[in-house]
Amino acid sequence: MIEVQDLYKSFKTKTGMVHAVQGVSFTARDGEITGLLGPNGAGKTTTLRMLYTLMNPDQGNVKVDGFDSIKEAEDVRRRLGVLPDARGVYKRLTARENIHYFGELHGMTQQEIATRTQALSNALGMDDVLDRQSEGFSQGQRTKTAIARALIHDPRNVILDEPTNGLDVMTTRGLREFLKQLKAEGRCVIFSSHIMQEVAALCDRIVIISKGRVMAQGTPDELREQFGEQNLEDAFVKAIGTEEGLHA
Amino acid sequence: MSAMITVFKKELRDMFRDRRTVMITLIIGTLLGPLLMFGLLKLIVNRVSTQQEKPLVLPVTGAEHAPNLVNWLKGQNIVIKSAPKDIDAAIANQSEDVILRISPDYGDKWRKSMPAEVELIHDSTRQDASIPVERIETLLEAYSRTVGTLRLLARGVSPTAMQSLQIAHRDLATPQSRAGQILSFLPYLLILTAFLGGAYLIIDVTAGERERQSLEPLLATPASRSAIMSGKILAACAFGLLSLMISLMAFKICFMFSSGFGVKIELLMSTISLLLLVLVPILLIGACLLTLIAASVKSVKEAQSYMSILMMLPLLPTIILMVNPVKNQLWMLTVPFLSQNQMILKLVRGESIGGMEWAVYLLAGFALAAILWAIAARMYHREKLAISA
Repeated sequence: MIEVQDLYKSFKTKTGMVHAVQGVSFTARDGEITGLLGPNGAGKTTTLRMLYTLMNPDQGNVKVDGFDSIKEAEDVRRRLGVLPDARGVYKRLTARENIHYFGELHGMTQQEIATRTQALSNALGMDDVLDRQSEGFSQGQRTKTAIARALIHDPRNVILDEPTNGLDVMTTRGLREFLKQLKAEGRCVIFSSHIMQEVAALCDRIVIISKGRVMAQGTPDELREQFGEQNLEDAFVKAIGTEEGLHA
Repeated sequence: MSAMITVFKKELRDMFRDRRTVMITLIIGTLLGPLLMFGLLKLIVNRVSTQQEKPLVLPVTGAEHAPNLVNWLKGQNIVIKSAPKDIDAAIANQSEDVILRISPDYGDKWRKSMPAEVELIHDSTRQDASIPVERIETLLEAYSRTVGTLRLLARGVSPTAMQSLQIAHRDLATPQSRAGQILSFLPYLLILTAFLGGAYLIIDVTAGERERQSLEPLLATPASRSAIMSGKILAACAFGLLSLMISLMAFKICFMFSSGFGVKIELLMSTISLLLLVLVPILLIGACLLTLIAASVKSVKEAQSYMSILMMLPLLPTIILMVNPVKNQLWMLTVPFLSQNQMILKLVRGESIGGMEWAVYLLAGFALAAILWAIAARMYHREKLAISA
């Protein structure tokens, strides 16, 4: 379970202060998929970075299974599986070595890593590339490696930043099944996306973010009801007040 | 701790998969120094022996005024030839190194037992001419002394009356210290290899990893940032140590062949291990400093732009000592680069290094490395570190 309370984050740039996140609150429950939906530049990635302790919020707090993201950052990271926006894999290592490295950093034994790698490889369908050097991997193969690497320690909470970015239709479908499987295993899954259909197809709860603020949140039905629209996409447009940045 | 070892092992594996870079750094980078030195040594020795032992061709103008002197010179391995018409031009355009001019009144002065004038014409700024000039000068002085002695004897005066002092030299230079003179640039080569040998690598594991977007996932693991950084620094140090070992072994082998031209230099295995010990602090200082830079700049390119400045640093003490030679003092062992310079010179000259000196040296070196490590760790904890875009 991940509880986010009133997060604020600003950056200093040459042109002045950028208020990336201004008061984001939501709760992601175990056994549910929570989708962060918003146009490009809405503050989704910054919000997620505060969840996995890469950045400290200026204000507000994050609790992961009750642990505070600032005071107990290491415990928080131990309970999270993170696929960040940046998903570089080590080109000169094989997919298995990439995954193994992260397993060791999580303090797992060789046996645990081997078993878990096999399970993830089966679930993600990447047996054929497991022992190849990741130089020359396709976008899909790289994403699968990065996901397996992120989930090697069997975390209760999973955060995925735009996981389907740049993937073809078949890989995306496979990934959706994988996310549903994670949900069925009782994990708390958060993923961000700017693609309406994807969020609608997968999520139990949707948090609509725009310009660093939460515009609306709830189940798809609740959102349709709240905005008086039959179509989720129309509800979304109404929520953020513009169509800008939606179709990317 | 275990995270540090994990990072250390992974970085080394990753590094050695990049065969071509490793080969270039290890083989070419480390062998260039010894080969360069070997070549220079051979060139110097060849040159000196050629110029000192081969018959020297000496253009003489006015040879007819002093036939005895000319004949005596001929007996001393000198080939006399007539001088070109324009003497100054011949020296200026370097067609002759040195020309001897015998003045027309040589015979008159000689018969009157007065100093007869001979003139050596040369350009003192030309290094190449210094050996022939010195050779001729020595011969002329010897001739002058011999004739002077004979004149005194002819007048019934003891030649020793002219000598109020007898100057004798007792040279305490050991064979090692003489070799050390030739090896004066060995410290620079070794310090540079230790300080910057693994530079591209250490920049790559921090700034390069960020550019390849794999730093963010790495920092999302429970491993502490200090442990990750330390693992990377240790990997770079291990690589640096390896390249230093290869370099020193290459020097050892080169020196084995150097005995052929009269200079005996030996690099014992015990000296090599002490040299490595001397270089460990500078290895750490270099790795920490480069990590600090790589963590605080925006890109690999920016980090690399610091390289030209860093390359000058090890040169500074050598230059300062060249301009202003000072006696070895204990405080020098606390100054980075200068201290390595002194320690390495002591080792190759075969001088003993006291326990106090080792303690001061190692303490100062490791303390500086620790300070740089702490600053680098601070840099590693900045939010900006992980974010590439």
